[in-house]
Amino acid sequence: MQPSDQELRARLHASSVAVVGCGGLGSNVAAMLLRSGVRNLTLIDFDAVDASNLNRQLFFADQIGRPKTEALAETLLRIDPDAHLTLHSLRVTVENLVDLVRDADVVVEAVDRADTKAMVVNTCMEALPDTPLVTASGLAGYGSANSIATERPCDNLYLVGDLESDVNAGHPLFASRVMVASAHEAHAAIRRLLGFEEP
Amino acid sequence: MKVDIALFAYLADHQPDGVGGRHARTFDLPEGTTIADMIANLGLPDQPRVVFVNNRHAAEDSTLHDGDRLAIFPPVAGG
Repeated sequence: MQPSDQELRARLHASSVAVVGCGGLGSNVAAMLLRSGVRNLTLIDFDAVDASNLNRQLFFADQIGRPKTEALAETLLRIDPDAHLTLHSLRVTVENLVDLVRDADVVVEAVDRADTKAMVVNTCMEALPDTPLVTASGLAGYGSANSIATERPCDNLYLVGDLESDVNAGHPLFASRVMVASAHEAHAAIRRLLGFEEP
Repeated sequence: MKVDIALFAYLADHQPDGVGGRHARTFDLPEGTTIADMIANLGLPDQPRVVFVNNRHAAEDSTLHDGDRLAIFPPVAGG
């Protein structure tokens, strides 16, 4: 028998997700998770809102200069005042990452640099092999939105993106394509929280 | 021993057959070959990467075994 909508909502309400990075991916992932019913979110980012972020990140002009975690939390609480948000305004490292995300049911990697992405994936998969991790790679540029997909290269890793389009190769970031990747990440997390292992 | 090796994204250009593409190729390797040895043999650039063996995350100093499936994925920037 299929679970009822109420049962699905209850499952998501009881779940927690850690979002590592609150920029183009993370700010949008967090909002989609919350709107879908995931009320326990850990938000991690060291940065402050900049005018250049507003083309794709869920921030507003009157939030420029504020820590991204705080600005995002303010917006999320406008969506759902009952959200349980844990904020960490710091830079993730090999040393601090595991303790920050240990209690989450799913971890979402949403940072921007390639070396930080690799560090997050390597550290989480090594220390928390039983915690599903969603990561994104290849979302820059104006390539087709249809080339962004979710794969499952190993049991607890969901890999989103076209895997190729590198912002450092001169591809600009468009809100539309970043949002497609964000939606893939959020949906991979939601499906996994609901018990669906395939992306 | 035989090991299947798949290289994702731009690393696919480093497959010795030069054909590219992410599908796995089978390599005949001496016993005791480590993942780090293969990374050196293939001439992979010193860029951030994630390594899997048989669909599990693996450390680069791990030794490969007959029948293993090695996959190496390089994250690219953007977020």
